[in-house]
Amino acid sequence: MQQFIVEANLRAERGKNAARRIRRTGLVPATLYGGKGGPVAVNVNAKQVVSILKSESGHNTIFTLKLVGGGEDKVIVKDWQADPVRGDLLHVDLLRIAMDVRMRVKVPVHTFGEPQGVKVQGGIFEMVTREVEIECLPTDIPEEFRFDVTPLMIGKQLRAGDLPLDPVKLKLLTDPQRVLAHVVALRIEEEKSAEVAAAEVAAPAEPEVIKKGKKEVVEGEEGEAEPEKSEKKK
Amino acid sequence: MLMPKKVKYRKQQRGRRGGKAWRGGTLAFGDYGLKALECAWITDRQIEASRVAITRFIKRGGKLWIRIFPDKPYTKKPAETRMGKGKGAPEFWVAPVKAGRIMFEMAGVDEATAKEAMTLAAHKLPIPTKFVSRAGGL
Repeated sequence: MQQFIVEANLRAERGKNAARRIRRTGLVPATLYGGKGGPVAVNVNAKQVVSILKSESGHNTIFTLKLVGGGEDKVIVKDWQADPVRGDLLHVDLLRIAMDVRMRVKVPVHTFGEPQGVKVQGGIFEMVTREVEIECLPTDIPEEFRFDVTPLMIGKQLRAGDLPLDPVKLKLLTDPQRVLAHVVALRIEEEKSAEVAAAEVAAPAEPEVIKKGKKEVVEGEEGEAEPEKSEKKK
Repeated sequence: MLMPKKVKYRKQQRGRRGGKAWRGGTLAFGDYGLKALECAWITDRQIEASRVAITRFIKRGGKLWIRIFPDKPYTKKPAETRMGKGKGAPEFWVAPVKAGRIMFEMAGVDEATAKEAMTLAAHKLPIPTKFVSRAGGL
């Protein structure tokens, strides 16, 4: 596993304006928490964090956080926020870890090979779950689980329980029956004829309107009630 | 054409649109997607035209997910009508889309095919879009 060292400065200012000023300098606001010690607001280099997230071990990378004017901590990226349009990193949650305490992590599942159900039977291979949760020591976190899907036929699934896990080191927390990937038969959509499509465009049907609780009053009752009102007015 | 089966009210106020899609901005099902870069009301016809363009291009194989749904009625008054006399009749349905929203997702095809299919779909939409893949994101 690649070794990363990230420097962090204590963050004195809070709020969105301060956070924006920090981001303009190439840093990103972060929060350090967990383990021994309370939560600390810090700034970290955005490029370094992005390189960690894009490394082979991804968000499960354990790295050293050097706090300026403080000590060093072994940390992991617990969560992060990115801009939905530009994709820039906005905020990072860093979790302190103890190397001798088992922890819960989500490990990606990658498949290889072309399933027989696709090659021979013409089905579609579909990944349903891309990550499984395991419990292990920080030193035992696998980068990924690789699974050969070549024997998968149509209607067959790869389940979490099928993953080759070392039972001594790793404990599977995801339901073993959870489907990770399967091969399904191809559904061909019938194209609507031009006439049907044109009719649909010309007069689109309106959806049903949900009516409120009160029931409609019967016409006869309504007729009787009205004269009474008029008498009272007099 | 996509539209709700049941609604509580026939007509809605227009509202305002803007901001970024803080939800629905990441790939959830497929390997490739088409991301909106601006806000817009995408009509049921535009969604249908994009869907047809994608399915015709990929022919066999591949799976498509449509991540937006037109649940907002758009009303219009008839032509040459004087103002007043109430709100017009529902004309079509729109999906309010914010910048950053993943509108379509695909899986089961190679990247080049997915990119070409998404380009064809993007031509049917009124906003600039971006092709995204699972490998490219954070």
